[in-house]
Amino acid sequence: MAARRSPACRDCRATDAARRSLMDAPISRRRVVQLGFGAAVSVYAAQTLSNRDLLAAASAEAAAAPTAPVLVNVFLPGGVDLLDTLVPADYGRYADLRGAVKVTDPLALAGTDVRANPALGAGLGGGVAGLFDRGRIGFLPGIDYANPDLSHFNSRHYWETGRIDTGPGPGWLGRWIDRHGTGDNPFQAMSLGSTLSPLLRGTSRPAAAVSSPADAQAWVPNVWGEWDDSYRAHWTKVAGHTPSGAGPAAVYAAARQSQQVARALAPYVAQDGKPDPLASPVAWPKPDDAPGGGSDFSEELRVLAALLAQPLGIRTATIEASGQFDTHDDQKNELSSGLKGVSTALAAFQADLEARRIADRVLTLVWTEFGRRPEANASGGTDHGAGGIAWVMGTRAKSGILSTYPDLRTFDGEDNLKVTVDFRTVYASVLEQWMGTGADEVLPDAGKVGRLKVVA
Amino acid sequence: VEVTPVAAPARSRSSSWTAAHAERLLWRAGFGGTPAERAYWHHRGRGATVSWLVHGGHGPHGARSMVGAKPRVDGKALDPVNVWGHDRLWWLDRMVRSQRPLVEKLTLFWHDHFATAEQETPLMLAQNKLLRAHALGSFPDLLTAITQDPAMQSFLSLVDSSKDDPNENYARELMELFTLGADNGYTEKDVREAARALTGWQGVWKEGEPLRVRYVPEAHDDGVKTILGQRGRWDWRDVLRIVVARPEHATFLVTKLWTFFVGDTPPDKATRRALARTYVRSGHRIAPVVQDILSSPALYRKLDRPAMVKWPVVQIAGTLRQVGRPIDTDAWSWLQEEMGQGLFDPPSVAGWDWGAAWMSTASMRARFIFATYLCSDAPVEVGKHTASVRWNAADHVRHARKATGDPWTSAATDAELGRLARGFLAKGRTPQGDTPDYIARLTQAALRHFLLSGPDAQLC
Repeated sequence: MAARRSPACRDCRATDAARRSLMDAPISRRRVVQLGFGAAVSVYAAQTLSNRDLLAAASAEAAAAPTAPVLVNVFLPGGVDLLDTLVPADYGRYADLRGAVKVTDPLALAGTDVRANPALGAGLGGGVAGLFDRGRIGFLPGIDYANPDLSHFNSRHYWETGRIDTGPGPGWLGRWIDRHGTGDNPFQAMSLGSTLSPLLRGTSRPAAAVSSPADAQAWVPNVWGEWDDSYRAHWTKVAGHTPSGAGPAAVYAAARQSQQVARALAPYVAQDGKPDPLASPVAWPKPDDAPGGGSDFSEELRVLAALLAQPLGIRTATIEASGQFDTHDDQKNELSSGLKGVSTALAAFQADLEARRIADRVLTLVWTEFGRRPEANASGGTDHGAGGIAWVMGTRAKSGILSTYPDLRTFDGEDNLKVTVDFRTVYASVLEQWMGTGADEVLPDAGKVGRLKVVA
Repeated sequence: VEVTPVAAPARSRSSSWTAAHAERLLWRAGFGGTPAERAYWHHRGRGATVSWLVHGGHGPHGARSMVGAKPRVDGKALDPVNVWGHDRLWWLDRMVRSQRPLVEKLTLFWHDHFATAEQETPLMLAQNKLLRAHALGSFPDLLTAITQDPAMQSFLSLVDSSKDDPNENYARELMELFTLGADNGYTEKDVREAARALTGWQGVWKEGEPLRVRYVPEAHDDGVKTILGQRGRWDWRDVLRIVVARPEHATFLVTKLWTFFVGDTPPDKATRRALARTYVRSGHRIAPVVQDILSSPALYRKLDRPAMVKWPVVQIAGTLRQVGRPIDTDAWSWLQEEMGQGLFDPPSVAGWDWGAAWMSTASMRARFIFATYLCSDAPVEVGKHTASVRWNAADHVRHARKATGDPWTSAATDAELGRLARGFLAKGRTPQGDTPDYIARLTQAALRHFLLSGPDAQLC
């Protein structure tokens, strides 16, 4: 069967004994193939790379600004339904609209008259609902933009670029990196996973896509030790060229930066017999414990929390949740399963940052491309709609319900919720209040969209 | 359909049809070629090559439909339905061995265009067969078939969408992604009206998956609808007919096909109009449009500086062809995903992002690892007696090129390969006691890996 994801890091599975034996020369090719390639490089790299190599540009930047704010951007793909996620105060009207789809046992949220889907109670300390109760979350119900486009791809594109324009353009965080990033540190703009998020695309500055330190390593068969160093030097020299054209430029940049990322992350690859350099101070859910396909998301967030504590100079990181939120059918189960995975992973992430004492410099923005039709459809789901949900999370996030909950009795001309806050208002507010930089240099409409308090 | 190349003498070895032209065309219209295949088509000329690609017939391997060793993993034949990743290997094998490379390439195009995911393997394999059968045929026939396809209907909630409450999912993507393009001449109202017209499909379900779908007239909304300005008691066939007849459809589809084969530079106005005309006049057939695109001078621009980023599966299948390696490991299944393109699992109904978006540090690392796997086994692996201590640097580069199917490289790469070989050989006997024989093999291993993993190997 075509499973949705490949087994994580298939190429770095190795037993402790087997890894040790790698150091005994000569190593047969068969043997290394059995062991996996990640194992070989991690042992070799950790032995030969000095701290000087590791620190390089990344740590210079991190050292220069050890408390620089970090923005973590979490995307929930598909269009998360507002009503079943944050259940409105007017339950009677809600129940009429939703019929059998409705959430029957929502959780109270301290100090508010809305309630949460019970799946948001999953995870450490009561999950996302628990974080809200402890003042770590500000919810943004009704978020969207005027005349919402119900296409996943148009709407996503607007959120990704920060412009209401279907034409191609760089991501809004890519534009921020263009203004405030450096020319030599790919970690400044990092996507978790194997592709660079459209949020970061289009930047002329380095950016990285990383699943884990082990997954960033690469090994060359039959070329060892100093010969390998020499080989990499020749390879990297070619990659140093900057050809014209979008395709060649992207290939050569990725080639250069992939070698840089591998070198910088090599010391963080777990070695047998030694403590895991990225071991977490909190109990993360085991990947299998996160239903709704939350496992990759949870694992990537775990790696991110650990890397944020290292001197890598990460300024913005993007990550996509594994859940499926385009709930045209069977919304009750699909949404619950998706939100459970999100809640479990985000609760562990926030607890991890707090335990590492780096939470005060990390703000997380969670978003989805649109909301859903208030009235349920006949498939036990909801169709694309307007007025979705987003939230800011962190020890310094402004907590509470930060925008007006849409009225359930008057809809827009297409039977959708009326939008109560523009996502660009939130972007502009985050840039100014959190990143401490101007909003208009990144968002062309920053002057028109107003501001909202998102940082306490 | 007659072959009518847009320009140039068909059978000629003049500068209008060089080996580089043949190499470019084989990559863009298929999955590259072996050095022998490139030489064969260079000799035959552009017209014959395009004709063979579009229409099939006798090629370098006669009339055989599949050429080369059958796939075997762990000593066994593939089991696409039951073993993880074997569905992907099964298709990859067709890309490697099929003598209708353009058919496989367009099947891949349609898999991206009518992107479907999260469905059971038998349904996905059935859909794949459907896409292949219509790959170069009539677009309306393809659209009719895919609209009735259980995997598609299940993915986009068309199955069980009934008159009481039509589901808009399929109607929206039909216009936005499949036929017209986003915001291209339709409104939200058109989507909702089309959704009504598309009602009537019901599934025969087993364990939450539709085994098959059937049309149930009682579930269909037979009222009057207005779709794209046309009023009538429309049903699903009418919707497909109405959208395909729009002028926006022809422009949208020919532009997408152009981008697929030619790259990021969109066709100029006159070219787009000519392609749309060819498409409409042929009765909305794919082959004539593709034939014109493959014959267009724009496809052969900058032969010395390829600018298209190879799709991950094109890189895998093409490199396996180039080095002459059959499907013999399931590594290609998970590597294609790490490279950013897991077959049968597109990231969304919009398919994959092409071009520069294929590249990231992680996907480049996966492409590097792909070369590592290739260099770890026959035929690319450097065995005990494959490198000679008598070879000089130029000999080494020549042998490495031969072992890797002589891929295109830039002048910068050529120069660096030479420096690498000279540097390695100059080290001579090392303090660790490495023998000349060992150094010869190291040199050869490094050169081969470079040719398959370097930035130039990602471009075509």
